[in-house]
Amino acid sequence: MAHVACSPLRKQLILGNKSYADVTHDVADLLDQKPSALWYVGMFISVAMLALGVWATTYQLMTGIGTWGLNNTVGWAFDITNFVFWIGIGHAGTLISAILFLFKQKWRTSVNRSAEAMTIFAVICAGLFPIIHMGRPWLAFWVIPYPNLRGPLWVNFRSPLVWDMFAISTYFIISLTFWYVGLIPDLATLRDRTTSKIKKAFYSFFSLGWNGSNRTWSRYETVYMLLAGLATPLVVSVHTIVSWDFATSVIPGWHTTIFPPYFVAGAVFSGFAMVLTLMLIARKVMKLEEYITLHHIESMCKIIIATAGMVGLAYITEFFVALYSGNEFERFTFINRALGPYAWAYWTMVTCNLVVPQFFWSKKIRQNLTAVFVLVALINVGMWFERFVIIVTSLSRDYLPSSWAHYSPTCIEVATLIGSFGLFFTLFLLFVRYLPVISIGEVKGVLKYGRVATSPTETIHTPVRKEVAV
Amino acid sequence: MAEKNDTILLDRAADELPPVQGVNRRDFLKLAGFTFGGALLAGCQPAKVEKAIPFLIQPEELTPGVATWYATTCAGCSAGCGVLAKNRDGRPIKLEGNPDHPISKGGLCAIGQATLLGLYDSQRLMSPLANGKAATWDEVDRRVAEQLDRIKKNGGAVRFLTGTVTSPTTEALIRRFLGMFKDGKHIQYDALSASAILDAHEKTHGVRVLPQYRFDRADVLVSFDADFLGTWISPVEFTAGYCEKRSLQGQPPSFSYHAQIESRVSLTGSNADERICRSPVEINIMITQLAKAIAAKAGITTAGTPTDSTVSRLAEKLWSARRRSLVLSGINGLAIQIAVNFINHLLDNYGTTIEIERPSHQKQGNDRELKALLDELKSGSVAAIFIHGCNPVYDLPDGQNLADWLKKTPMVVSLTDRLDETAEVSTMVCAEPHALETWSDAEPVTGVLTIMQPLIQPFGSTRPFTESLAAWMGEKLSAHELLQKEWERTHFKRQTEKRSFKDFWGDAVKQGFATVQSKPLSSRPFNLDAAWNALRESTGIASTELALVLYPTMTMHDGRHAHNPWLHELPDPVTKIVWDNYASLSRKTAEALQLEEGDVVRIEAEGKSLDVPVHIQPGQDDKTVAVALGYGRKGTDRFTNIGPQWLEAKPTVAAGSCVGTNAAPMLAWNNSMLTYDISNVRLTRTGQTHPFASTQDHHSLHVPPHLAPVDGKRRPIIQETTFAAYAADPSSGSFEKAEVVSLWGDPHKYHGYHWGIVIDLTACTGCSACVVSCQAENNIPIVGKDEVSRSRELTWIRVDRYYDESDGTFSVAHQPMMCHHCDNAPCETVCPVLATVHSEEGLNQQVYNRCVGTRYCSNNCPYKVRRFNWFQYEHGDERQRLVLNPDITVRDRGVMEKCTFCVQRIQEAKIAAKRDGVPLKDGDIQPACAQSCPAKAIVFGDMNDPNSELVKRIKDPRHYRVLEELGIRPSVGYLTLVRNREGEGA
Repeated sequence: MAHVACSPLRKQLILGNKSYADVTHDVADLLDQKPSALWYVGMFISVAMLALGVWATTYQLMTGIGTWGLNNTVGWAFDITNFVFWIGIGHAGTLISAILFLFKQKWRTSVNRSAEAMTIFAVICAGLFPIIHMGRPWLAFWVIPYPNLRGPLWVNFRSPLVWDMFAISTYFIISLTFWYVGLIPDLATLRDRTTSKIKKAFYSFFSLGWNGSNRTWSRYETVYMLLAGLATPLVVSVHTIVSWDFATSVIPGWHTTIFPPYFVAGAVFSGFAMVLTLMLIARKVMKLEEYITLHHIESMCKIIIATAGMVGLAYITEFFVALYSGNEFERFTFINRALGPYAWAYWTMVTCNLVVPQFFWSKKIRQNLTAVFVLVALINVGMWFERFVIIVTSLSRDYLPSSWAHYSPTCIEVATLIGSFGLFFTLFLLFVRYLPVISIGEVKGVLKYGRVATSPTETIHTPVRKEVAV
Repeated sequence: MAEKNDTILLDRAADELPPVQGVNRRDFLKLAGFTFGGALLAGCQPAKVEKAIPFLIQPEELTPGVATWYATTCAGCSAGCGVLAKNRDGRPIKLEGNPDHPISKGGLCAIGQATLLGLYDSQRLMSPLANGKAATWDEVDRRVAEQLDRIKKNGGAVRFLTGTVTSPTTEALIRRFLGMFKDGKHIQYDALSASAILDAHEKTHGVRVLPQYRFDRADVLVSFDADFLGTWISPVEFTAGYCEKRSLQGQPPSFSYHAQIESRVSLTGSNADERICRSPVEINIMITQLAKAIAAKAGITTAGTPTDSTVSRLAEKLWSARRRSLVLSGINGLAIQIAVNFINHLLDNYGTTIEIERPSHQKQGNDRELKALLDELKSGSVAAIFIHGCNPVYDLPDGQNLADWLKKTPMVVSLTDRLDETAEVSTMVCAEPHALETWSDAEPVTGVLTIMQPLIQPFGSTRPFTESLAAWMGEKLSAHELLQKEWERTHFKRQTEKRSFKDFWGDAVKQGFATVQSKPLSSRPFNLDAAWNALRESTGIASTELALVLYPTMTMHDGRHAHNPWLHELPDPVTKIVWDNYASLSRKTAEALQLEEGDVVRIEAEGKSLDVPVHIQPGQDDKTVAVALGYGRKGTDRFTNIGPQWLEAKPTVAAGSCVGTNAAPMLAWNNSMLTYDISNVRLTRTGQTHPFASTQDHHSLHVPPHLAPVDGKRRPIIQETTFAAYAADPSSGSFEKAEVVSLWGDPHKYHGYHWGIVIDLTACTGCSACVVSCQAENNIPIVGKDEVSRSRELTWIRVDRYYDESDGTFSVAHQPMMCHHCDNAPCETVCPVLATVHSEEGLNQQVYNRCVGTRYCSNNCPYKVRRFNWFQYEHGDERQRLVLNPDITVRDRGVMEKCTFCVQRIQEAKIAAKRDGVPLKDGDIQPACAQSCPAKAIVFGDMNDPNSELVKRIKDPRHYRVLEELGIRPSVGYLTLVRNREGEGA
């Protein structure tokens, strides 16, 4: 495959004419230096947000779920919106690391590590909400089927919430394992570099005795491949199951068969927007412009265009089916979304998710990082509102007009949402500080991509890592 | 203590050891273990020992855990409905209608249900007061006796001011008491006065009585602003009679016609077949016109037909139903009531739909006498006044002046159960017990004697009214003895059935009432000429100015229930607003005055003013502003912190103010009659706003036009039809039955019982008695105004109200809504922990202990009848918690709850049937909502029993189930709402 790597027809994946040693230095040195002032600022803000969230959640747990703006009619709002939003965010990580891996998209190597980290942190944020949204969260473990002494009590396997529990925990475990396995060679590199005894012990333990031999690489790649295969269906299954929370209900606006593909597309869409948000900051702050290049950013923008198209198609289909179905409740729900009391949320969603991504058709905009940053931030907002619109507008105007009610969040709910972002960013900042942001081993494998061979021997001796195990 | 014990034990153990050996390892371990164990056991003791003493000698009829029922009489208003009180372990926990009672026939209204909570109100007076300080009864008696002696010696006016006294025993006592003085007088008044009706009968029939209205005999009913289903005289009795004529039973089915002419939307108006919206002045004119039109038909005059086509139509209908019609007016004006009598006389209704020979005593107030008394008090010529069963300082227009006049009066004795506005300015306050703590009686309607009996040892040192009176006459007799004596002396003779008084008395106490004979009241022949002459003269002038209508609500009545949080939290049957009164305005008027919902306006009339927030009310007359009486009671700031307290919680009552505003100062005197319609009022905006809490917004069944570009169809929730269409086709108005194809098959088989409910929407008036009944039965806490405004009310049954203004007319439909116990319940499938499960009798059961509170079930409920404990809701103070039903779990925060079909009653009846070895009979089980329904609109039963009343109703062509097309198979059904209207069935 060496000839591929050195083909001048290909675009360079890593810029700056790096040597292998450069890569190791560029990535690993970050962990040895004192963090930059920007990191401290970021950490301070994130921890402050997290603290706000912790306070709000503690207050809510002490006082009751009534401290949220929910009511008899609208039983879910910010809580499940945040849950679906964060789960969706996670999907890009898995897509990048598993599906793009299987599709042999070499450009993924620069971003997969942080994207996977993002997945894990997003799933942590997501997983919190189904727990704290319960009236009695201290009994949350009751949704887990385990042998118990409480008589014939068992979970209800017909309930999508039980499926959720399985889906999310599976997703979390697989994502974590996948991420960790991918980290092993790099941990070994760090182990070999570090001078601190504590760090050495830590890295030694977690690198599981990696010695860089052919055998270890071979085994490693087999495992990685298998895990990628395992993780791939999860990209589809997790959000499909999450969408069943709504699709299997009887509420107009929820009860619709289009939800699984619609949710998966939306998840990938929002996930890439979040990956881009993080990458744009990270490459700037960590000075990784040569690793995360414009090419990466453009590729991700293109995926966003594609998924935005799918999401848009889903919006239109859903609306059309509602109008065409002849079901008056269904019709009303959709017209009410567009023209009713939450129309502002609906049109925010439509603008951010359908109109905004269309700007990425322009190469100029794709290459303007400020523009990309603003646009993906808007997409993040839009995707949050998508879930809000689905949940709140459907509930607040269901079958009996007598029960229609309005929902507006309390300060506690807003603080909890802010807190979840605080948690996410705190974890991410800790990650960039203590673990290699870029997969050193994998980047080395694509280092020579698109580079003109300087000597005829180079193609032969380049230790290109085989990406495909047979 | 524990330590001391341990040392003793240790010492003893040490003594037993051989001294020479000392303590070896084994012994040491033994002792150490023993000490440790002892300390541990001592530590297990609870900190405080509470003594629970079982009955050593158990009272004969009392079994712990088994309820006993006693018949008594409701004292919520003067209607005198029969009550069965459920007593558990020495305390009443539920009031229900007495099915055998001749007046209420098993119904009990919201107020009646809620009076129970008043018993456990810790702010009731617990001892008498003298000059505002707590005193002993001896001291009070001594001081009263001194003053009375002085009056007996020196002369002076003694006045007794009471509300309507329906108790013959009390009345006799007052008469005897006043007989001791040269100038003694008993004045009765009603804050919600019907004085004009009595005065009119004095003019037309020569007797000052309130006749009995027989709604069960009226085929055509024209009511001018008489809210007889909600607040007027005896709503439960009237509702029962009204519904009897609208039951659609019989072949061919018959159905009464009811026209309501009113300026605001009353509960009665919302049920009328034809609701005619007019301003108060226009109503007056209309009555006169109707009288003239009827007179023309009767041949008294040859004047032409009235200009108003509505009037001629009504006259036509009434005339064709002579002897079977009834014209009523709730307006307290003498001329109007004379006109009404005139109409009823010409229609030959006296003797059929109006019984004057056996009059009612439910309203006996005399406004003229009251006015005279006020003048006396003003001039300071009263030496002593006794006030009982009324609160004149609060509910009279001159309340503030009256307070000053009372302060001038040498002796003012208030006999009341709480320190109300009047008691505050009294020299002596005699603490009265609650009606459920004392013996009394009532004769609400001539010939029907009802008994009130105590159900609990009275709280505090209170004394019944009759005992106080007897004491001041020098008789030391208990209320029980006084009552028995009076019955033996007077009422025993009024019957022949029972030979011994003991039998008579015993039966009366057991049944809660006794029917006795009474001599028919002889009245003068109708004074037609006088009435006609008065009428001919009267011509009203239509005014374009705004008029103020002061009306009572179904919860506060005249304000006497303002300390009852159950009633404050019961939504108004029409506006659905809780915890407030307001100025209702039509949309047009509000727009013209640039007012919006919640804007506080100042209403000014005749130099008086009132600040109230505006509520925009569809169906209201454009020239009318309506404000409810009974609010703004002093001391209602006690509810400020009712409901959960948290960061964003708003108080139920603004600190330092009251629940609502007292509108009574706006009342006016007109020809010595209390007038509730004030003409020529001015409205100005104050700039302040006041938020309301309502359980339902104005969303109608019609999709709002701006949201209905595709179709504006009515939601298939309430089936409506006209009587004509029903007579032609009993299934008229039915929704298209959707064919439900289910992939599920029959998930549940019901081999034994399969419980269900059918609600007749034609019978249901929306009176909401079921809501309070359910609240009392099922320990539903009060959540406060803020929680309601956040749509978190906790009631398990609600009455949905839908306005319909689609075809230019205004109409209202009421629909009680509770858990439908679906066979394919959407809530059951989505609960992750199986906290809501299906019973083999078709009940959808909520397992509180298992619930983790995901609220998914509630989201997935198409009827939105599930209720969540958003907070740890309080059940009031220690005394108030005595009202809790011990059969019902008190729910914790974080769990879902909902209607159970009163599963505790089902179980109780099943166990009783099993114990007695007899099969369960249809009707043995009555959920709380069905039991007290004055209209008998709710029928509960077994869907598997082909002979049950329930199945009979399910087979009725009117039967339908709401949202049946979802395939969820609800167990609650409804019967089409039939109204005697023109036009096609909807």
